Amino acid sequence: MPCHLFKIRICLEDNVTGWAVGIILHSEPELNQPHMIVGWPGIGNIGVITVDNLRQQIEAEELGEIEPWDYFYPSKVVIRASVLHSLEFPTSKFYYKRLANRDLLLFVGEEQPSGRGRMYAEGGKAYEMANQVLDVAEKFGCSRIYTSGAAVALTHHSWKPRVWAVATDSGLLAEMKGYANTLLMSEVEGRGDVGNITGLNGLLIGVAKKRGLEGVCLMGEIPDYLSRVPFPYPKASQSVLEMLAAILGVSIDMAALDDMTAQMEDVITNVFRQFPNEVRDRIDQRRQEAQPGMITEEDEKWLKENIDDFFRQEEGDKGQ
Amino acid sequence: MNEKVHFSAKPELRTPALVVGWSMDAGRLGRRVTDYLVGKLGGEAFCEIEPADFFPLNGVTIVNDIVFFPESRFYACPDRDLVVFRSTPPSYEWYQFLNLILDVAQDYCHVREIYTVGSMIAMGAHTAPRQFFGTIGSPELKTELSGYELSRETDFETPPGGRPTLNSFFLWTAKKRGIPSANLWVPVPFYLVSADDPEAYRTALDFLSDRLNLGLDLTDLDEEAGLQNERIDQIRAAQPEIDSIIGKLERGLRLAEGEGEKLAKEVGDFLRDAGN
Repeated sequence: MPCHLFKIRICLEDNVTGWAVGIILHSEPELNQPHMIVGWPGIGNIGVITVDNLRQQIEAEELGEIEPWDYFYPSKVVIRASVLHSLEFPTSKFYYKRLANRDLLLFVGEEQPSGRGRMYAEGGKAYEMANQVLDVAEKFGCSRIYTSGAAVALTHHSWKPRVWAVATDSGLLAEMKGYANTLLMSEVEGRGDVGNITGLNGLLIGVAKKRGLEGVCLMGEIPDYLSRVPFPYPKASQSVLEMLAAILGVSIDMAALDDMTAQMEDVITNVFRQFPNEVRDRIDQRRQEAQPGMITEEDEKWLKENIDDFFRQEEGDKGQ
Repeated sequence: MNEKVHFSAKPELRTPALVVGWSMDAGRLGRRVTDYLVGKLGGEAFCEIEPADFFPLNGVTIVNDIVFFPESRFYACPDRDLVVFRSTPPSYEWYQFLNLILDVAQDYCHVREIYTVGSMIAMGAHTAPRQFFGTIGSPELKTELSGYELSRETDFETPPGGRPTLNSFFLWTAKKRGIPSANLWVPVPFYLVSADDPEAYRTALDFLSDRLNLGLDLTDLDEEAGLQNERIDQIRAAQPEIDSIIGKLERGLRLAEGEGEKLAKEVGDFLRDAGN
């Protein structure tokens, strides 16, 4: 299959470095008014698990990828009989699927191009990648972008995570609010009018707005006490995926995510049992409350003192 | 060429080879090999990569009261048609940094081949014969290097959770640009990682001298390696426990818990005190 390497706007302007990063497209299908759904890793890997499961469920076809080498340090080298065979990088791939009402573009990034030892991308590289994703979206006539991430909340791991929505305009917000198990960020108890979505799952919809595209970020709730541990939280991905299935009008088999959620429930239950009694009791008190709330500064402090220290101690024990 | 590269001189070179060493590897191998080449062959700095885009520059590192600042410099040895690049490993923008090296190497110097020098931490004893490994960019160069004592049939894959070395990234980038290149890997016994290992850099320099017709007289390194071995013999004589641990390594036996750490600390401290 022929590959098309097209140098995009950001790269053409990048004459200082002289190494344009390209996008490789395996094909250029005609798509019917597609929307795009995007996921990168983040807290609980909620967004990327959501989008990757959707990709598998609807059997989306690979469309292309962003060349990785200017964004990422390589992830694997393969040497055969002393000769360099290959060098692998985290992938940033596009997919597409023809659907009944409107077609769909998907983008799954294995890593955020942070480059400076941080989990989240920021600055020039993040902006460049966001623009490259949107270049592909616009090339195929896409007018709306969905991203997905985590909403850190005073919730409990036994509760079904809700989905918080933010959007680039009020009309879109009204549309999102019509879906089940969904609320606006401003409706969360204790939450002010102002918030922030860290990393590319947030930045992308900002850049989308700048470019005149519609943008929505759907965030699955994750309990505050699980937000800093290196576990996936597929339960929240399920909530987001249910909402996306409703938006797209497609039927999704949740069996794979059910299995993943069940496995993680066991892990979380085991971890939870090891929390000090006082911490467990305080978290369990949340079950008496009507609904999850937003974490306050006081909660942040308590989390840091009780949960972070607990996990640090666990790490230390492992090393002995 | 590029505002991120600053030339201070324009040496006359024909089709030189390039040797690359990083300043922060085990046994200080990259640093010592490049220092030796520049010192012995009268290398002159002619070009450097500006640090701003590649290093944090949020302060300065002090080691034993000495200021360390990132340095990425090319040296020319026109008499032997050799270019040496010595650098602190970049903290980010690796691909751009590696391409800047290759821009200077390819577009300005017209290099014919490139060798990087790196160390690998070995669990063996310092008295064991040093194997010498090469990772080569192409089967053609592998054939050309068949007459040298490189171990040439190594298979390797980065284990899960690991990351390739900067030298592997560099080799891949050079290969992408069609420049014949190889990574040279010299094992450094784990207890010499924080000290110097003259036997290791002698091994690398021996190959480079031969391959690149540098005509290096390495007698001084033989003496340095001999002196280091004598010093390690002294600590073995003074501390039976250290002698026993090294003896285990020489016989290929597994060390008990804590023995490796003790050996590394005692030998490292002793060699530093002895003036290494």
